[in-house]
Amino acid sequence: MDQPNDILLSVENLQVHFIGDGPVARAVDGVDFKVHHQETVCLVGESGCGKTVTALAILGLLKQPPASIAGGRITFDGQSLLDMHQDELRALRGKRIAMVFQEPMTSLNPVFTVGDQIGETVLVHERVSTAEVRRRTIQLLDDVGIVDPQGRLGDYPHQLSGGQRQRVMIAMALACEPDLIIADEPTTALDVTVQAQILSLLKKLKQEKNMAIQYITHDLGVVAAIADRVYVMYAGVVVEQGTTGIIFGNARHPYTMALLDSLPTKKKRGQRLYSIPGSVPHPAYRPTGCPFHPRCKFREPSCEKAFPALCDYGKGHKARCPILFATQDRAEEAHA
Amino acid sequence: MTLSAKPLLRVEGLKKYFPVRRGYLQRVGSYVRAVDGVDLTIQPHQTLGLVGESGCGKSTVARLILRLLNPDDGTVQFDGREITALTERAFKPLRKQIQMIFQDPYSSLNPRMTVAQSISDGVRMAGIKNKSDQRKRIRQLLDMVGMPAASAGRYPHEFSGGQRQRVGIARALSVSPKLVLCDEPISALDVSIQAQIINLLKDLQAELGLSYLFISHDLNVVSYICDYVCVMYRGRIVESAPATVLFDKPCHPYTLNLLAAVPEATEVGWSPQVGAELQRAVLPDGCAFGDQCPDYGDDCKHEPADMVKVGDGHYVRCWNAA
Repeated sequence: MDQPNDILLSVENLQVHFIGDGPVARAVDGVDFKVHHQETVCLVGESGCGKTVTALAILGLLKQPPASIAGGRITFDGQSLLDMHQDELRALRGKRIAMVFQEPMTSLNPVFTVGDQIGETVLVHERVSTAEVRRRTIQLLDDVGIVDPQGRLGDYPHQLSGGQRQRVMIAMALACEPDLIIADEPTTALDVTVQAQILSLLKKLKQEKNMAIQYITHDLGVVAAIADRVYVMYAGVVVEQGTTGIIFGNARHPYTMALLDSLPTKKKRGQRLYSIPGSVPHPAYRPTGCPFHPRCKFREPSCEKAFPALCDYGKGHKARCPILFATQDRAEEAHA
Repeated sequence: MTLSAKPLLRVEGLKKYFPVRRGYLQRVGSYVRAVDGVDLTIQPHQTLGLVGESGCGKSTVARLILRLLNPDDGTVQFDGREITALTERAFKPLRKQIQMIFQDPYSSLNPRMTVAQSISDGVRMAGIKNKSDQRKRIRQLLDMVGMPAASAGRYPHEFSGGQRQRVGIARALSVSPKLVLCDEPISALDVSIQAQIINLLKDLQAELGLSYLFISHDLNVVSYICDYVCVMYRGRIVESAPATVLFDKPCHPYTLNLLAAVPEATEVGWSPQVGAELQRAVLPDGCAFGDQCPDYGDDCKHEPADMVKVGDGHYVRCWNAA
């Protein structure tokens, strides 16, 4: 699995800072992750943990300033994205890496038909006739499960439902058969039944088109449904990573464990939910040492001082908590 | 449901149609049947969950109960009194007993008012005239929702989403209500904060004997917090049952659909049981779910079925469930 040529995207020690009037906000503070070919990788975390900024940095969509990429490397298929010229990056975006955004109503242009908007992606990247563009657009709309694609071509975004709009967004992303789709909370604004449709669509398309998906979400239920591997982010760093089975069955970072414990389910009826005290720290005022220590029930004095190292549990499972790594028994106990 | 003698809230046949105006003259072309004959009962100290997708009319029901909107038909009885027919003046004292918590604590608190100012209106309404008593009550309310007393002088922007929601709850409690309508109270909050607010709502219920109408689209939360659940679809309640029954033995095809669509963190590799979008663009006659129902038959073309009793306190609006 970990052959170097199998890796499609690798992000190493990425640091993105936002510089404004106040103190520097370190939105992404040393993030490492990899996406292999044809793999679904989830970045999961709460708002403000840096998931979206990471995605935007990959695509070179961050406005600089106020953002500044303070360090790290992003390598896509052997090429360094951060060293690329804008023109090269533009040729790559939409063609080999595509993005699906959270709110389809704000990311679709209200004054162009959906046919125009999907076709534009094809026209920008390939020299094809308009008839061919039309044929491909209809095919794409059909692929994403839109009923009567021919009739929908001339529709404007406001004429479509939320689920249909998100399908159009996905069709746009698929237009040039990219190797990687970055989906940033694509179902957060949708109803559960529509969310289920979109998730199954993404799963199906991934199989058919041999794509990799980098899926960004805060919803652990969605992660369990779609991911092959998971990276849990907190306060700009990856605190735990592993296969989906391990993260949900055998988490070893206090934050991941606490998140899973705090989810309400019908099995926990009558019991008190575990709630994580405090709130997510502001990116400009993060605690020293381990960013999670003020809210952690396993904290020890050393957590306030040293930034925790990534501890390796084998089989790709790593967690940034030396305390639990040293005292595995306590982790077992906490899990029981 | 164990029917105690006197429910706190009883809603019968509630209807609200919004006119759709068209064209230059803004003539009323058709009506959106936002709420189309809803019956609900909330027992004292209980939590009634109202679930459904966006646009199904859940929030409109809450607004109708609180008389922020006037119903077109139907009755709302609160504590044995019919409140739909009351004049605004006669209803005012009752409004203190029914309060609301909104989804978005960012937009439901006035940004120019300190926390104390936001809460003090309610405290005054509750009849506490003396300034120092008011301050004492504000401190007490903030303490109840787990906010430090020092937060009284601060403005909403100084707080995180979870803290703002706590302020919203304190404001709702300032008039000592009996019934609190919670409209998606945790959907806008971070995952790690949601559990805090859920626990707070449960604690307050135990402490103050509150009843909740808990409106949500998050079925996991509803299955955890609610005693009784009503599933709403296109302005109608299609199934209602005690929470444990509804989640274990759902009957209505829409409820089955909804439950199948919920991804759970305990199910790794879950794959959704749904196909493409709805195929029939025109609403069929009869049952509102007809266009998506796998069992749509001849019976379903008649008037939408009445609620059929299928178990203890378990009612379903479906011919096939009977």
